[in-house]
Amino acid sequence: MKLIKPWKMILIATMTVSVLSACSSPGKESAGSSQTTATEENKSSTPPEPLGKYPETVTVSEVLGYNPPEDPRTPKGITPEQNAYLKDLKEMMNIEVKYKWTVPSSQFEQKFALAMASADLPDIMELNQKDFEKLRKQGMLADLTQAYNDYASPELKKYMESDGGFAMKTFSEDGKLLAMPAFEDPFLSTQLLWLRKDWLDNLKLQPPQSMDDLDKVAEAFAKNDPDQNGKNDTYGVALQKNLFFWGYDLRGFFNGFGAYPSIGDNQSAWIKDSGGKLIPGLVQPEVKTALGKLQSWYKDGILDKEFALKDENKAVEDITSGKVGIVYGEWWYPNYPLNLNVDKDPKAEWIPIQIPGLDGSGKSLVPKIRSGKVFAVNKNMKNPEAAIKMLNYYIEVGKKKYMDQNKAENGYVYNWFNPRIYNPAQIDTIFTEVNKALDAKQEEITLDDENYKNVADVFKAAKDYLSGNTSNASKGVNWGQYFSRAAKDGGWGVTRKIKESGAFVNNEFYGLPTETQVEKGAQLDKLMQESFTKIIMGASLDEFDKFVQSWKSLGGDQITQEVNDWYSKEAAK
Amino acid sequence: MHKPTISRKIFVVCNTLLLTAITLLGIIPFIHLLSVSLSSNTAAMAGEVKLWPVGFNFDAYRYLGEKVEFFRSLGVSVERVVLGTAVNMFLCFITAFPLSKSVEQFKFRTLYVWFFAVTMFFGGGLIPTYIIVKNTGLIDSIWALILPGALNVWNMVLMLNFFRSIPKELDEAATIDGAGHWRVLWRIYLPISLPSIATIGLFTIVGHWNAWFDGILYLNSPDKYPLQTYLSTLIMSINSQMTSISIEQIKAMENLSEKTLQTAQIFMGALPIMIVYPFLQKYFVKGMTVGSVKE
Amino acid sequence: MRTLKKEYLLHIMLFPGVIFTLIYAYGPMAGLVMAFQQFEPLSGFFHSKFVGFDNFKYVFNMPDFKQVLWNTIVIAVIKMVLFLVVPLILALLLNEVTKRWFSRFIQSAVFLPFFLSWTVLGGVIIELFSLSGPVNGLITSMGLKPIMFMLDNEWFRGIVIGSDVWKGMGYNMIVMLAAITGINATLYEAAEVDGAGKWKQMLNITLPGMAPILILLAVLSLGGILNAGFEQILIMYNPTVYEGADIIDTFVYRLGMFSQQFGPAAAVGLFKSAISLVLVSVTYYAAYKYNNYRIF
Repeated sequence: MKLIKPWKMILIATMTVSVLSACSSPGKESAGSSQTTATEENKSSTPPEPLGKYPETVTVSEVLGYNPPEDPRTPKGITPEQNAYLKDLKEMMNIEVKYKWTVPSSQFEQKFALAMASADLPDIMELNQKDFEKLRKQGMLADLTQAYNDYASPELKKYMESDGGFAMKTFSEDGKLLAMPAFEDPFLSTQLLWLRKDWLDNLKLQPPQSMDDLDKVAEAFAKNDPDQNGKNDTYGVALQKNLFFWGYDLRGFFNGFGAYPSIGDNQSAWIKDSGGKLIPGLVQPEVKTALGKLQSWYKDGILDKEFALKDENKAVEDITSGKVGIVYGEWWYPNYPLNLNVDKDPKAEWIPIQIPGLDGSGKSLVPKIRSGKVFAVNKNMKNPEAAIKMLNYYIEVGKKKYMDQNKAENGYVYNWFNPRIYNPAQIDTIFTEVNKALDAKQEEITLDDENYKNVADVFKAAKDYLSGNTSNASKGVNWGQYFSRAAKDGGWGVTRKIKESGAFVNNEFYGLPTETQVEKGAQLDKLMQESFTKIIMGASLDEFDKFVQSWKSLGGDQITQEVNDWYSKEAAK
Repeated sequence: MHKPTISRKIFVVCNTLLLTAITLLGIIPFIHLLSVSLSSNTAAMAGEVKLWPVGFNFDAYRYLGEKVEFFRSLGVSVERVVLGTAVNMFLCFITAFPLSKSVEQFKFRTLYVWFFAVTMFFGGGLIPTYIIVKNTGLIDSIWALILPGALNVWNMVLMLNFFRSIPKELDEAATIDGAGHWRVLWRIYLPISLPSIATIGLFTIVGHWNAWFDGILYLNSPDKYPLQTYLSTLIMSINSQMTSISIEQIKAMENLSEKTLQTAQIFMGALPIMIVYPFLQKYFVKGMTVGSVKE
Repeated sequence: MRTLKKEYLLHIMLFPGVIFTLIYAYGPMAGLVMAFQQFEPLSGFFHSKFVGFDNFKYVFNMPDFKQVLWNTIVIAVIKMVLFLVVPLILALLLNEVTKRWFSRFIQSAVFLPFFLSWTVLGGVIIELFSLSGPVNGLITSMGLKPIMFMLDNEWFRGIVIGSDVWKGMGYNMIVMLAAITGINATLYEAAEVDGAGKWKQMLNITLPGMAPILILLAVLSLGGILNAGFEQILIMYNPTVYEGADIIDTFVYRLGMFSQQFGPAAAVGLFKSAISLVLVSVTYYAAYKYNNYRIF
């Protein structure tokens, strides 16, 4: 028996959460650790230069949450301090990066919470929205307006302003820019339906156009031995226990019914009604209809009888092993896990289609802004512009002229360099440029700007895949790169068409959780998970009406009010 | 010796069968892990491997052989176990010994015992503990994994109880001979408590070996991580606190598919400690404690 | 005078332990104040607002709290009892094994699952009891209907309890074996001469000899009455069994996931600590008062 200390529970609870703090009061923190010998006069005498070299070394402290290097050719046992990008940064700009600590990214949040608690913050910080908000409220963040205006390179400015400044405005306060948001095209969140094309062909079926079609296809996939192995070992649609999650979930399915319950991660979605007010998608009558369909699917064996105990890894296993041939998800599925299935079963062929709806195709939910992280600067840092210059640097080294030198085998690990911001239109640039080169049967891409590296990587994978070359990576991995980003009928190709045709609905709420959401969110979520799962597994559909009643009275109405207050006051329209 | 009776024989057979079954239950998960690590990666990702490898190969172990991180952290673990066990056991002895005295022998014992016992139930939580560790200057050093838990109260209480089962006469006899407490502890108590020391030593070693979370908290770079901390970072799951997965995270997910390599490391990570246990078992010899001394 | 000097030595021996405990166990306890605060990130303990017992009220008034508390106690109490009984039986059975290598081998095997985390084992156990798993395979081969174990509240609880006992039983078993080795061997010889059988020897010698350790283990396990196994349940449960398997810790965990509420989490922790301490001290003093025995 081990005696578990009661405090261990608090400890565990805090693992997911972020911060508390020591006795430090904001602002009194001992002067930041950015030591510089460059004096003020020095700085003002030189005109701002985005890639200019400091006359004397500027030391910048950072913390880093990192994933293993992606390229297998990276030298073994290399540590983030040895990243060759840092060496080049020092040479090019005379900026020296010192890591206060580095940690595998799955533990970053935890470790950063401790840093905040003990008032030991680095100069440049990668923050999620919640931590940004905390530091903003405490006035810990430097105003980057000046640094951005003076130092941002034309490329960086182009990226940041590509959405009309919407993202930057979201992270500003009283006209002061407090963080550089790394944002991406919101349409990357568009839900698609992925299907086994080879199974459709085996059963002589067409890709489904509507929910009724899908019904038939799914039933055939469950019952008519689509893999033709003579065994009844398949089911229809992949699903795991979190009904609204980041993958293998039901967001796209509900969207097909004109129902918009969630944006994933069990967070509610808010759509605009005809009167211009925001309403919670979770409790609309369309949700009930969709649940009714799921219930009959469950009964008919289209859903796995034990979906409620599967986590995402189990769902991936089923897809990989060829137990299931339909899954809702985004453009990137060929990267993972569909590539695993392709590697396992040479016959496997997956296609994405626009989600089927009640009459014809359905409309997917798309967020207003897609930004996971922002980069902010400690207000005690003496050279906030160094952060902007480092962003310039990272964009710069994407250019072709650096490519021969900056290879993984020379110790260049791109995902260990922070801060880095990508072209928000990266994926579309890749799509266009790779297709241009493929159509013209070129051996090299023509592009020669800062997007070179990203485009060239996909182009190489596409070439390898199309020529059947597996010396650099497996067929599945090459196909995954190609089919998610470049193929015209692939993940992004189909998403692009949806974007152009306007077949989407916006989630209108992108603020921080409101007061009642904070207080009652967990409870409302449990209520939802419990009643939806039970309904799908055969409880009466009327349970949904009961759920709506409880949801409203347990805080849902209050939240709706708060969300609308936010909408009328703060939404950047 | 009596001749074993019929019922005794039946008992022995049943007992053997039952214990064998329990043994199998304990070993099966390890056979499963071993099989996964020896299978092809696609079979492992498809969840097809049960108790026998599918697509048998040694690739995972070949890669493991090149894993600098694995061996580096293995070294840290060994250092931690050695230092940590030494510190823990020493403190355990010198704390349990005075507290094993009766109230008559040591007036304040009950006060002390409760002073320690309370900490089994109350703690301040993660962040206050971190701040203390930081302020005592241990951050980023191996001592941060050892000193905060230098006295394991649970083990100490156990030790105290084992000490109390030592006959008082022994103690008294030694005292009359003029031996001080220090000598009594080292010369009399410890030598006859070998089975209990082996037990508590085992728990201490296992505790240090298995601990992973403090490594994340108190160490500032992964090249200082002990093995289990390193292993915990391998079982990376996508942070569920997000609604959209960035393009970079998608790239990172491809690393999730190294299932056989992960499994090989988990298996190898448990192996050294499995070897320690049978070694300690030789001290679990019945009757060598009290009986032998009394004669 | 001599005894005073001796006691002084004992104090000195305790000194290092006291110092470490003061710094690293009592030091952080200052953090318990956040149970009474509306804890503001970055403000710290000194600048957060005190809210009295609001955090406690908030948690105890949650609509599901009673159910969750009940689940916790049911699961924890059954685990507590089994964690004493099962290792005891095992230790006694092992004690009857005469072949030393066999006994050692079993001990190692029983202790093995202890080395694997629930992250690794959880999946294996879910697999074992799933519709396509070996357990259901056995059931269907006997012509019975398969059972969805993990989606049924009663079965699920049983599996949670059973698998935790299976994983952790080696620990107490080893403590108990150590207690058995401490029993005076001459007692057995005497009993043998008196013609007492193995059963009698166990009842009259082994069990009484183990009593101090058994009582200690029992009393200390009372301290875990509100710990039903957080990590295990978090990994194994699912929405269909919330009703029977949602425990205080998972409940608080979800609060934290959603909303970073430190105050309520600390309040629950303090509540659990207080209950443990009360239970343990009551039994301690009861044993002392009625039996004049100090458990530790």
